[in-house]
Amino acid sequence: MNTAANIMELDHVSVRYKSRRSFFRHTYFTALDEVSFSIIKGETLGIVGTNGCGKSTLLRVLANIYGIDAGQVNWYCRQVSLLTLALGFDPELSGRDNAILSGMLLGARKADVLDKIDEIIEFSELKDFIYKPIKTYSTGMRARLGFSVAVTMQSELLLIDEVMSVGDGKFKRKAEAAMVNKISSDQTVVLVSHSLPQLSKVCDRVLWLNEGKVIMIGAVDEVLQEYECFLEKR
Amino acid sequence: MFISKAHLIEVFGTKLALNLKSEVSKTYLSYVWWLLEPALMVTVLYIVFAMFLSKSRPDFIVFIMCGKIPFLWFSKSVSNSSNSITSGRGLINQVSMPVPFFPMLVVFQDAFKQSIVFLFMFVFFIIYGMEVSWVWLSIIFVIFTQFLLVCAISLLVSAITPFLPDFKYLIATAMLALMFGSGIFYSYKELLQPRYQELFLLNPVANLIKNYRQVFMDNAQPDWIALTSISLGSILLIAVMTLYFRRTNTVYARLIAQ
Repeated sequence: MNTAANIMELDHVSVRYKSRRSFFRHTYFTALDEVSFSIIKGETLGIVGTNGCGKSTLLRVLANIYGIDAGQVNWYCRQVSLLTLALGFDPELSGRDNAILSGMLLGARKADVLDKIDEIIEFSELKDFIYKPIKTYSTGMRARLGFSVAVTMQSELLLIDEVMSVGDGKFKRKAEAAMVNKISSDQTVVLVSHSLPQLSKVCDRVLWLNEGKVIMIGAVDEVLQEYECFLEKR
Repeated sequence: MFISKAHLIEVFGTKLALNLKSEVSKTYLSYVWWLLEPALMVTVLYIVFAMFLSKSRPDFIVFIMCGKIPFLWFSKSVSNSSNSITSGRGLINQVSMPVPFFPMLVVFQDAFKQSIVFLFMFVFFIIYGMEVSWVWLSIIFVIFTQFLLVCAISLLVSAITPFLPDFKYLIATAMLALMFGSGIFYSYKELLQPRYQELFLLNPVANLIKNYRQVFMDNAQPDWIALTSISLGSILLIAVMTLYFRRTNTVYARLIAQ
């Protein structure tokens, strides 16, 4: 049922985890239960749900990191990136080396990362620290570097898990603005967030996931209103 | 699926270079350890067997080096790669990439270090006064055969350990058994009855060690049939493991996340 506008379609997708209790006994936990929806090219789709509802698993299915146990996923794009801060960071290496590697792992070619490296370094405000091993960084500095790499990278479909902003004060505001700017562009984005005001600001549609099932998908206000009622009742 | 082959190779090369750089920066003597560790191992064996047990023979130090140094390469790569997929958890759970990336990274990292060790080994042999001849060039084929074997076994053990974490204890024991069973500090020709010698040489590591000695100590061509058989066997195993990983790639991400 592909229409040209869809970048990805999920059809009755289920994922269940197996965990070992003793040598022969296993228990199963259903993380995603017959999930069906599609992502439209250019849109920003928000995902809401309480902790453990399957949001992170869903993002990993979309990124083709996790296999599925039933159903079907159709991709109509070549590149999907799960935006992860500090991806593949090695404490012994300099900030610059880590930025290059991290950018490449997020889907960019080496030449492209090198083109953008000055931009990344400048955004991170790390100055000369960028040449020091990141084991000497504070948590905040590390997060700033990770964020600067992530916000500079591009992908056909960007999956973002709770990384809207980092740091404090001035950098936090700058980071938030950069991320909102990125999300509001033509970029197709799937965004997981607990911040409902943030979601209503940037999303075109919202999907509500509960216990691995899609409860609702549609217009932002409608879904968020129902979700808020649900949260109050709990 | 989401990363092109060229991109993957680029990431592999960059990660390889950076891993080596990172490894070096962790110790005071950095690069020196790559040589110091095998040198210490060989020295210990030499002292124990040549001096304490009086098992010496002509060129015993060369004999030990031809056995211990290739063996160290094999055992280190295999033990290191057994844990590689589990330790790659951080990346496997965040990026869609082929799982064999991780054991192969370990194999190439070790192979790079080993090539430097081999280089120093040749120089040592020349300084020691071994007779150099054109036959020595054939060692390239022995080394390449061992590289294929290391790739094949590393892929195999790396695939098993995430399913059976206890397997890594077995590997340690297997490596110890292999050390005693590969003729590192004894000559199988002197120790074993002729009817057991063929059986002994079915162990590919023992067979390779025999070939290292044949080239360096006897100035003779390696056993080409044995090298070809080991290479073909290894290539077959690599092909099987590649197919296996292609079919199970996304299984591993979930397996190590649980």
